[in-house]
Amino acid sequence: MPKWGMAVDLDRCNGCGACVTACHAENNISTVGADQAARGRAKHWIRVERYWEGDFPDVRLTFRPVMCQQCDNAPCEPVCPTYASHHTADGLNAQVYNRCIGTRYCANACPYNVRFFDFFNPAWDKPLHLQLNPDVSLREVGVMEKCTFCVQRIKAVTIQAKADNRPVADGEIQPACAQACPAKALVFGDLEDPESAVSRLSKSPRGSKLLEDLGTRPAVTYLERQS
Amino acid sequence: MKAVYGLYPDGRAAQQAVNRLRAAGISDREITVLSPQPMEDYEFGRRDKATWMWWIACGGGLVGMGTAFGLTWITEMSWPINVGGLPIFAWWPNMIILFELTMLGAIVATVVTLVVSARLGRGGGLYDPAVSDGKILVGVEDPAEAAIPELQAALGAVRQALVKTI
Amino acid sequence: MSQPARQTVNADTLLPADQRITSDLLRPLMQTSWRFYLLVAVFGSIVAAALVAWLSQMTRGFGITGIRWPVYWGFYVTSFVFWIGISHAGTLISAILRLVNAGWRRPVTRCAEVITVFALMIGAMFPVIHLGRPWLAFWLFPYPSERMIWPNLRSPLVWDFFAINTYLTGSVLFLFLPMIPDFAVVRDRSSGLRHRVYRVLALGWRGTPKQWHRLETAMQIMAIAIIPVAVSVHTIVSFDFSMAPVPMWQTTIFGPYFVAGAIFSGIAALLIAMAVLRRFLHLEDYLHPVHFENLGKLLLVMALLWGYFVFNERLVTYYGNKPAEMAVFWRTQRESFAPLYWTMVTGNFVLPLVLMGIRRFRTITGCVIASIGVVVGMWLERFLIIVPALGHKFLPYSFGIYRPQPVEILIAGATFAAMTLLYVLFAKFVPIISIWELKAGEHVPSTLIPPATQEHQLGELHL
Repeated sequence: MPKWGMAVDLDRCNGCGACVTACHAENNISTVGADQAARGRAKHWIRVERYWEGDFPDVRLTFRPVMCQQCDNAPCEPVCPTYASHHTADGLNAQVYNRCIGTRYCANACPYNVRFFDFFNPAWDKPLHLQLNPDVSLREVGVMEKCTFCVQRIKAVTIQAKADNRPVADGEIQPACAQACPAKALVFGDLEDPESAVSRLSKSPRGSKLLEDLGTRPAVTYLERQS
Repeated sequence: MKAVYGLYPDGRAAQQAVNRLRAAGISDREITVLSPQPMEDYEFGRRDKATWMWWIACGGGLVGMGTAFGLTWITEMSWPINVGGLPIFAWWPNMIILFELTMLGAIVATVVTLVVSARLGRGGGLYDPAVSDGKILVGVEDPAEAAIPELQAALGAVRQALVKTI
Repeated sequence: MSQPARQTVNADTLLPADQRITSDLLRPLMQTSWRFYLLVAVFGSIVAAALVAWLSQMTRGFGITGIRWPVYWGFYVTSFVFWIGISHAGTLISAILRLVNAGWRRPVTRCAEVITVFALMIGAMFPVIHLGRPWLAFWLFPYPSERMIWPNLRSPLVWDFFAINTYLTGSVLFLFLPMIPDFAVVRDRSSGLRHRVYRVLALGWRGTPKQWHRLETAMQIMAIAIIPVAVSVHTIVSFDFSMAPVPMWQTTIFGPYFVAGAIFSGIAALLIAMAVLRRFLHLEDYLHPVHFENLGKLLLVMALLWGYFVFNERLVTYYGNKPAEMAVFWRTQRESFAPLYWTMVTGNFVLPLVLMGIRRFRTITGCVIASIGVVVGMWLERFLIIVPALGHKFLPYSFGIYRPQPVEILIAGATFAAMTLLYVLFAKFVPIISIWELKAGEHVPSTLIPPATQEHQLGELHL
């Protein structure tokens, strides 16, 4: 059984935000407009956190892309009253839109704040509605949504591999963010496979987990920036 | 229905009336006493105190506990879903469900016992609206025809009695 | 209406004569003034406006509230916890005082139980109001669905569902059972439609010793059962917070802290209700200053207990010195939430200590002022637990500020109107002081009164 994980190389990330755009495009995430974004309604399943360190002129800028960490001990899962948020056998935290009644407890429990609520029914100005991805459902108002490691792509590749009677090759599944990253900072793969890129990267001495001391056991490893 | 009864202004008069009825040979079971509030400082107010209600409440609690155990076991085991690495059947959270349904069972059992044993909702039986005005009613339902004058005398012998025959 | 002249008063119990008790306590049922209709109209329209607001929230989308990333709970959950807390009034006063056989509880029990039932009903609406898809709220109920999926019994929200339903059922029954003999009194004194309605409600009550015994035994059992349920309810509500790894939420003190806070706010609500009833229904002969004094002393004790819990919570956090927790700690105590925080401390601690601690101020007016302070303070306490922590968790890039919007303010505010409306309607149809229980106080068997401490039913209780 594979266990999906990611490695984020902070040395390579330059904060361009291509991952954010790709994620929006792939997962049918609507933009909410400047007004609503200012009121905190933007739904960036992956976001690039930007931090300034130090005082002028010794300022240092750091970037960190943060997406759902697909935690093994996800605090968002036990608290969902309807099992809309639960753990799959292949290590993903699933969000079942149809089962969500919108209590938003999962979002409060998530220490990474990677869960988003649909405050309004999504809307796309024409002709942008034509670019929607048919593999991903649209979420109606009142449900929670978050990064799924592009589970539609995972499923598509694994189904194809099964049909072809072969194992899934490392690097064959590319979530939208990993695919779009020009610096190849995002690496996705099977953590159960010791030969996969993500496995080797997650064992790197530069690697650490975000908010590790909370005990959530995330599946994403961040490789420390060295410059 | 036929009945002979007296209305009394306080507990002492009512107790005297009950004693006189007993002296006239009426058994306790046939004496009807109605009061506007419980009057346990008098002997007549202490009748029929024994009840199974406590045991039934405990039984209801056990039924509730069993229901809760069944609910948690069956629903959690029938489709085991992993949430946050918790065990599928976890005792700590399930004890909460167990507790709540146990108490609910005890409460519902108590109320059902009350309704049944106090014959609530069934109506009938001897009654006079003067009881809610503060009078205490002491009487006999369906007396033997021949005994009525004796009962009337016994009830009326108490001071301030208001005897009625229906 | 002018105050009726003091007629025969029973010297032992300081109660008016039996006849006058009944007529006094039934007067609100039998006579209606224009004031009643005005109250119903005013509060009814506020409640109606709030219902319209909720409807617009459901149709226009949840976005019209101030909820935002990452502060996903705001006024609605505050109101939920607040009203469930208020609902602990009835349990403490009614059940505990019943069990220890405190005679001074008699005029107070029904007022308290009514608060419980209505506060529970109002509070229980908020888990539905704050849902993103409230029309699916029934999924919380364990029913065999065609998808063969059940609610997550490991979730605190499902525990909430079970606990609140149990408590609501118990409280409604606890309220209703002793109303049956009073319904019989109304039944016997009315005619026409009113007589028919109350005859149904009275369930054929006659008043045999057997019925009285069964009723009192049932009340005894319910009193014993409802106290742990009440404790569990607000503990479980506190679990909504302590089960999430949010700074300053994941603390074991929340269970007892919330229960104590609930009882605290419940007593305050009860004091306000009693004072209002005493004035507007002319119950000066039944609700004596000693009742307010006794409850005022309880309020003082609960204020001290509240202070103790807050001190515990904050001292431990302070020494723990975890960065995320200290950030939230200072946020409430020194930074943006400081005005609300110190208002809360004043209302919950300073005011009750001064007004209830000093004998001269422990009057009915003093009790009401202290209680209003507590109600405000306890609402703020719930708000200050939820919002500062959610807006300031672990990753600074994701911090946010919550700004409540009109729809939330209206719905949260209208709950007070709803409570008042329900209370006014209740007092119109049911005697707000239990007639038979009041009179039963004169007939307590001597075995129940400890010989050395002859406690007067409504007499002076010196501290």
